[in-house]
Amino acid sequence: MSRGWSICWKEWRVMLDTPLGYVVATAFLLASGFFFGKNLFLVGQADMRSYFSALPLLLLFFIPALSMRMLADEQREGTFELLATMPVRMLEIVAGKFAAVLLQVLTLLALTLVYPLSLSLLGHVDAGQIAVSYLASLLLASVYVSVSLYASSLSSHAVVSYVLGFGMLLGLFLLGQAAATLPPAAQDWIVVLSPIQHFGNMLRGVIGLEDVVFLLAVSAGFIALTWFQLERRRWR
Amino acid sequence: MIQAESLTRFYGDMAAVKNLSFHVRRGEVMGLLGPNGAGKSTTMKMLTCFLPPSSGEATIDGVPLERSLDVRRRLGYLSENAPSYADLDVHTHLRFVGQMHGIPRATLDDRILEMAGVCGLHTVIHRRIDELSKGFRQRVGLAASMLHDPECLILDEPTTGLDPNQIVEIRHLIRHLAEKKTVLLSSHVLPEVEAVCDRMMIIDGGELRAMGTSAELARLGHGGAILHVRMKEAAPAEAALSLMEEQFSDLDIEREEIDGGMVAVLRHPDPDAEMNEAMFRATVKSGATLLELRQETARLEDVFRRITGGQG
Repeated sequence: MSRGWSICWKEWRVMLDTPLGYVVATAFLLASGFFFGKNLFLVGQADMRSYFSALPLLLLFFIPALSMRMLADEQREGTFELLATMPVRMLEIVAGKFAAVLLQVLTLLALTLVYPLSLSLLGHVDAGQIAVSYLASLLLASVYVSVSLYASSLSSHAVVSYVLGFGMLLGLFLLGQAAATLPPAAQDWIVVLSPIQHFGNMLRGVIGLEDVVFLLAVSAGFIALTWFQLERRRWR
Repeated sequence: MIQAESLTRFYGDMAAVKNLSFHVRRGEVMGLLGPNGAGKSTTMKMLTCFLPPSSGEATIDGVPLERSLDVRRRLGYLSENAPSYADLDVHTHLRFVGQMHGIPRATLDDRILEMAGVCGLHTVIHRRIDELSKGFRQRVGLAASMLHDPECLILDEPTTGLDPNQIVEIRHLIRHLAEKKTVLLSSHVLPEVEAVCDRMMIIDGGELRAMGTSAELARLGHGGAILHVRMKEAAPAEAALSLMEEQFSDLDIEREEIDGGMVAVLRHPDPDAEMNEAMFRATVKSGATLLELRQETARLEDVFRRITGGQG
């Protein structure tokens, strides 16, 4: 697995050396600040619930941007051939890329820890609930990363990958939103299948095993799809 | 040692490589020649485990392609256009490649500096790759392919984009490496292949058309011996040519009288027919004055053009 980490390290070097990572980070923190500050200053409520409920929508825009070039650029620049002819398993490549983007998202989320810290100066905060909410955000992010990584494997154009990833994530997102308009029998299914629903369950401050397992399983599923997609390309 | 047995690869219905069998010994440089689209790159992609062959098999140092990770550990591969991570600097790129090949951390930096020295990258080692010229990028690719000191090197057009001085340097480097290693390189620059390779094979339309040393291939070029002669007076010259016709059966003579003299081209199907000596004796015997006598040596270009249908 050390080769997976080498790939992860390389992606970090690329992110630190190119503007994309900084642009995405700045935009994310600005948008985050807006959603956090809105509740605090306009409503006068010192909690993070509204921030975390806005997070699925926020990540929808930013995670495909962080993932789009991961595999698309490798195909486009021909470096995928370099990568695939080195002694590394295809799954290690996918895992390394996944870890790289997830760590970038984790860093962004870690920067938002100033919100609960500043809240704790103002009054009492429910530390347990906030901690679980961060765990839920990380799990949701891993679903988003795996989906947009899969999108990146489908095209050799980063922008096409972004649009594909955004579209797929929007589909998942709307799945939860549309539930209310469907007949009750269908609603039960949608509730089970929507990552946003499972994320929402965890925001209450309870670590539900089925929520954690579901979010991890969806991530693993899309990682596997990405892996198959890369293998399949070789056989065409 | 590279051994290929009936390698075949289809893209959809189209066969890019058909039934290709060859071997490259240790300490040998094998050139892979062919026009664009002949299947050179596909062959190399199969040998480096990038593309699985549709049928046939190959071994690298005795390891079959199915044991892909073991094969890739033994191989250094420079693919076409020498792709490298344009957003990284040369040192970081080489470091990444070294890590992927599992070079121990303690020796990696020394190894990078050594290869940077060999490939002339000292001056640009901390420059971003996307700022480098084509020649430097090619050398970054070469350095990366040799970083882990592989047993076998597979180089797809290693000298494209290099200037003449660099080409000579890289040729020396490849020759030097080949003393201990197995090298397969592709090119459509014929003088390069002649200068560097011990043996070469010509493929076209995915099929092997010829294989051998450059001398062996050159003989295939015009399928026989050719002699150019120029003599001073036409009459004794005619007598000399008649003597030649008596001596060699199957001799085809093309003659032309120019300014009272005679220019002739003699063709014989046997490439080993020693016509030059006989021609000299014939002129002496018939009293002709010999102005020019030249045995044509086939060039690789001719062979190439002949075999690949003139698209060279």
